Amino acid sequence: MNRFDINVPLVKLLVAKDWQLFEKQLALYVAGGIVALCLLGMAQRWSFYVGSLVLIIVLVSTACFAISNSLIVERKERTLAFVMSLPVTPMDFHVAKLIGNLVTFGVPFLIIAGGAIAVVLLTPLPDGLVVYGLLIFGYIFLAYCVSLSIATVVESEGWNTFAMISSMVLINPFMMVLGQIPSIADNISRDAVVWTTPAVAILAVQVVVGIGVLAYTTIAHCRKPTFY
Amino acid sequence: MQSNQRLHSMDNLRALAMLAGVFFHAALAYSPIAQAFFPTADRSNSAWVDLPIWFLHLFRMPLFFVVAGFFTALQVQRKGIGGMLRSRWVRVGIPFLLFLPIVHMAISADTLHAARTVAHPSPLLGFIRDLLAMGPLPSMPPGTGHLWFLYYLLLFCVLTWVARALGPGGLMARLAAVPPLWLLVGMPLIVLPSLAAMPVPHPAPESLLPQFWAIGYFGAFFLLGAVIQQHPLLIERMQRHVVWLLPASLVLYATFVWILDGSGRVATLSAGHLFLAFLEATISVWMTVACVALGRMLLERSNRVMRYLAGASYWIYLAHLPVLLAIQYRLMDLPWHWSAKLALSIVATLALCVLAFELLVQRTVLRRLVGTSRHDNSPEGLVGFAPP
Repeated sequence: MNRFDINVPLVKLLVAKDWQLFEKQLALYVAGGIVALCLLGMAQRWSFYVGSLVLIIVLVSTACFAISNSLIVERKERTLAFVMSLPVTPMDFHVAKLIGNLVTFGVPFLIIAGGAIAVVLLTPLPDGLVVYGLLIFGYIFLAYCVSLSIATVVESEGWNTFAMISSMVLINPFMMVLGQIPSIADNISRDAVVWTTPAVAILAVQVVVGIGVLAYTTIAHCRKPTFY
Repeated sequence: MQSNQRLHSMDNLRALAMLAGVFFHAALAYSPIAQAFFPTADRSNSAWVDLPIWFLHLFRMPLFFVVAGFFTALQVQRKGIGGMLRSRWVRVGIPFLLFLPIVHMAISADTLHAARTVAHPSPLLGFIRDLLAMGPLPSMPPGTGHLWFLYYLLLFCVLTWVARALGPGGLMARLAAVPPLWLLVGMPLIVLPSLAAMPVPHPAPESLLPQFWAIGYFGAFFLLGAVIQQHPLLIERMQRHVVWLLPASLVLYATFVWILDGSGRVATLSAGHLFLAFLEATISVWMTVACVALGRMLLERSNRVMRYLAGASYWIYLAHLPVLLAIQYRLMDLPWHWSAKLALSIVATLALCVLAFELLVQRTVLRRLVGTSRHDNSPEGLVGFAPP
């Protein structure tokens, strides 16, 4: 059997299992996202700030929740031992976790990011915020990919918690750093979307590194003959 | 609800609400209140037009949302939450994404043409003409237009999943157990804050971003429809109140018109505004409940014409506004009485939409999205997919 072969029906069942286990929390995040979009839709300065904050909180919470519950807690509660009793290879398990996580995080992420960009473009807010916003979403994407990869590879709960919290909390310094780059900061208040070289470079690094980390973890898992 | 029971009253109510929608949009052109904002506002108009249309405005869309909530709950019951969401994506989400740009472009092109050619423009057309004279038109923020109903229907379907995942079990049964009189008194108070936050009469929530007030106001009716589906006895218990709901609503509406006429513009957040919003909320709830109860009493039988219109209503809802505006732009310069223009625009719009339904929908791939099976006898019937 090729190590890249995947037991698709079983992977679907594992993803469905994660979905059913986390449905309540995901519903809560979706509700939070809708509330945030409503706040943004009020077109008031205060509601814009509160709505933006709620959006970021929802995204960060979804990211941490998906990783910690589908990987870390599963290990802690010995659910993995049960999964190992099924006809599942480490690759099947990894793919199921990857898909499950990408669905639970990716769908709200894309909806919220798209909604936030639409808000900027469709309201009197300066369009220059689009680049700034995309860089922030890019950072959350990168932090999520790194945390997911670490949670997949490293079994220590302490290290995983450290990786998740530190990567997500670093969003504040990252926003401050963006504010210190003149070619990005100066264009935020302009009514045009301006892609400067530093902005494109940062976004490219975020996307390439994020996907690269996930790809590396997947390849590393293909090589594993056993779960441990 | 018996699984093999055909829901004629809901089919018929949807057809009637759709016809009311075409009448409402057509009549706006001849309403003095709509003169400032409606593009086809005609120089021939009458205050008599305002009387029925703003009354209709208070319960036409709530009635649609009751029907939508009813069939969403029915779909959840039959197909599960995942099946409902998949079905709604095909029958509501895709048509929304497909027709939104088409409708927007059609209305924009015809409005620009009318702004250049109509000899007696409406205030809005005149404004557009002035802007055109100064140079290229500034870009307007895109909205959902009259397809906002589909947007909120999708949102409510997602919220249905959220409510089922998070909500306490037995909530529907508890709501259905509330005595009808309490519901008729309590529900207006629930939707009052939403209406109090908006001007009178409330506008359509056409923004691409969801609005709290619209979720609170229309969501309450969507929930009512779902409760009725789960507990049909509720609407039967409400039937005994129909005898006073209709006259009481008319009295409240007379008060509403009297206050609005007497004070002119009422400032938002004033006591007068709050009272008007209370009247709006009460009329909305009472008339919607009266319509559903009357539908169950009088319309629970199959009628070929109404069944056909119910089947075509989704398409007519999507297509009627660009067609109607195109016709009314061409009537604006004619020296006819408003009643003749109103009648002609309604008849011509319906005729063209039905013709297009037969030629463009029922014989093409669009039938799967916005049409209906000619042999559909399922309990969900012609309206089961996506009542607009």
